[in-house]
Amino acid sequence: MRRLLKTAVAAATLMLAGANFAAAETTIEVQYPYSHLFKTTYEKIVADFEKANPDIKVKLRAPYESYEDASQTVLKEAITNRLPDVTFQGLNRQRILVEKGIAQPLDQFIAKETDFEKDGYHQAMLDLSTFNGKVHGLPFSVSLPVGYYNMDVLKKAGWDKPLPTSWDEVIEVCKAIKASGQTVDTMFWGWNITGNWFWQSLNWSRDNTMLDPTETKVNFGNDAGKWSMRTFAKLVKECDMPNNEWKEAMANFSAGKVGMFFWSTSALQKIADDSTGLYTLKTGPFPDVAEGGGLPAGGNAGLVLAKDPETAAASWKFLKFATSGQGAAYVAQTTGYMPPNKAANEVILKDFYAQNPNKFTAVKQLPLLRDWYAFPGENGLKITKVIEDSMQSIASRERVEEPDAVLKDMVEDTQKLLPKSGS
Amino acid sequence: MPSSDTMTFGSAMPAVSVHRKRRSLAAHATAYALSAPALFLMGLLLIGPVLVVLMMSFTDYSLGNASFEWVGLANYAEMLEDDVFVKAIGNTLLYVGIVVPASVFLGLGTAMLIESLTFGRAFWRAVYFLPVMATLMAMAIVWEFMLNARFGMISQLLTLLGLPAKNWLQETSTALPMLMVIGIWQALGFNMVLFMAGLTSIPRDLYEALELDGGSSSWSRFWTVTWPLLSPVTLFVVVITAIRSFQVFDPVHVLTKGGPNNASMVLIYQLYQEGFDFFRSAYAAGLTVVFLVFIFAITWVKSRVMEKNVHY
Repeated sequence: MRRLLKTAVAAATLMLAGANFAAAETTIEVQYPYSHLFKTTYEKIVADFEKANPDIKVKLRAPYESYEDASQTVLKEAITNRLPDVTFQGLNRQRILVEKGIAQPLDQFIAKETDFEKDGYHQAMLDLSTFNGKVHGLPFSVSLPVGYYNMDVLKKAGWDKPLPTSWDEVIEVCKAIKASGQTVDTMFWGWNITGNWFWQSLNWSRDNTMLDPTETKVNFGNDAGKWSMRTFAKLVKECDMPNNEWKEAMANFSAGKVGMFFWSTSALQKIADDSTGLYTLKTGPFPDVAEGGGLPAGGNAGLVLAKDPETAAASWKFLKFATSGQGAAYVAQTTGYMPPNKAANEVILKDFYAQNPNKFTAVKQLPLLRDWYAFPGENGLKITKVIEDSMQSIASRERVEEPDAVLKDMVEDTQKLLPKSGS
Repeated sequence: MPSSDTMTFGSAMPAVSVHRKRRSLAAHATAYALSAPALFLMGLLLIGPVLVVLMMSFTDYSLGNASFEWVGLANYAEMLEDDVFVKAIGNTLLYVGIVVPASVFLGLGTAMLIESLTFGRAFWRAVYFLPVMATLMAMAIVWEFMLNARFGMISQLLTLLGLPAKNWLQETSTALPMLMVIGIWQALGFNMVLFMAGLTSIPRDLYEALELDGGSSSWSRFWTVTWPLLSPVTLFVVVITAIRSFQVFDPVHVLTKGGPNNASMVLIYQLYQEGFDFFRSAYAAGLTVVFLVFIFAITWVKSRVMEKNVHY
């Protein structure tokens, strides 16, 4: 018995010594959102990273529940000084951390990289995390709006032309579906994704920005903005779009009860899994993107919060590992998102996309990649709610007949919440 | 009832002589010393935070900021201009104004009906009390399923009867009423139990005395004995239900998020949204102060009325 105890103590001592040895190296703490989407992805990345960098240990904190939770947690931890070294945040949530001086600029690290462009970091990708002229993060996984089509419904409706490329064509399909007497909803358009993402999609598709270049005046009250709101109202009305909550809409589409579904590509994995065996699912490009127009990126980016130079350097190493090469490839392989990294998409994932054409739709749209714009100032997040409420007044049919008036109110309410010029 | 304690306290303090006064001073010192830890904790955990919130409501602080500035009453001025706030206050008052009377009278009715049963009382008591025992969060999800426009039980029932089914929680006209129904459903069981306790404590002989005096209809039994003797319970129930209705949050959070278009926005949910979704901590602090004022007002009215108008 005594002997057994001795051996146990010896073993424990050895293990502790081992742990100590590892702890003598740098440990970085990393936190990311949405464990149900990204758990496998990060586990694979961390395993590979630790193998390649035995002197750095990565500790994954319990994941954030959502983007909202992610920014809330970081803001609280900034007060109590318990920040992780690397945090992954929704693309439209980076700005608030930059404005409050929590996220560190990365230019000093980028300057030291020799093959940064060759590693696949292109300008459009870096732009997503550039604030005040400085890069503050590296986008990790991005999504773009795409069209999902239930090919069985379209076939029964007699639609044998290519997938729609304009909203007018979408309405045509809607009418065909209705005329065919199927008991399905014709389509659902994801206006309720975070309240403003699709609003930005319509505007970006006409190359229209949310605010003017000085960021003090609302810009979407112009003609392109009017076109966007009218288009939305027209889709709601003529397609007889149900006023569903998004989870319900997605469940209905997955179950084969909706013809077309305009949504983020990030849901592809889940919808594909849920609809397997029920019908043929196809994805197509987001309709009606004009020449020179773009689409807003969804998804998240990694930010370095560590201030200590050594930890910050290790954090940068990890962030770079996760956003290039095999690290980035894991994003496409394990989720519905795609890595924004050019090299990963064009080289490592070439065969993968050939086998998964539905996932390739969004990759083809990558040249259209634009900012998921975050409104400035203390009321930035409240503005997204104003936009959501306005869109809802159309989706619920309450004000579907007066898109111009809705837009006018929305412009006024947004303007009131913007920081006064000069501040 | 808490009031009976204060009654005994009050009657235990007759006019005192000087001798007694000195003694009571010593007694006071001991009392304060003994209650010091509790007072300290109360200050730290209750009064302190309220003061911090009050101070914060005069600043422009937003979560994560390193500093703040004093802005005086700016947050309160903003409230007056804030359509969402006006709507939230209106909705909250409407919610309280409907849920409180409905759940109090239905609770009383249920309690009397169950009490009048000769057997099966325990069963019905349990049935009506179930919603109180269950977590409201979980129950809200059950309601979400029942109200689903496509496969929900309620919609299917209506369709079966040839009536139009609605997307109850997504429509401006029905979202708040649905939350009220859930609120009443939840409060009813709790109120019923309190009324039952009140009913059992009414002495039987009062009813017998009434019968001797010739009042034998059930209405006169209710009106001359039951109702007056239940008045302390009724007041307590009204106050508790009012405070709980002011605090309505879980079903709003789970089912409507205050939508559509703020149609079901209530005070506490707006407070949550401003503070934790928009990170406008100072404004949220201001809303908290408004909320506290309402709660204090109810509590004050309760203690005033309790002293004067309740028959024992």
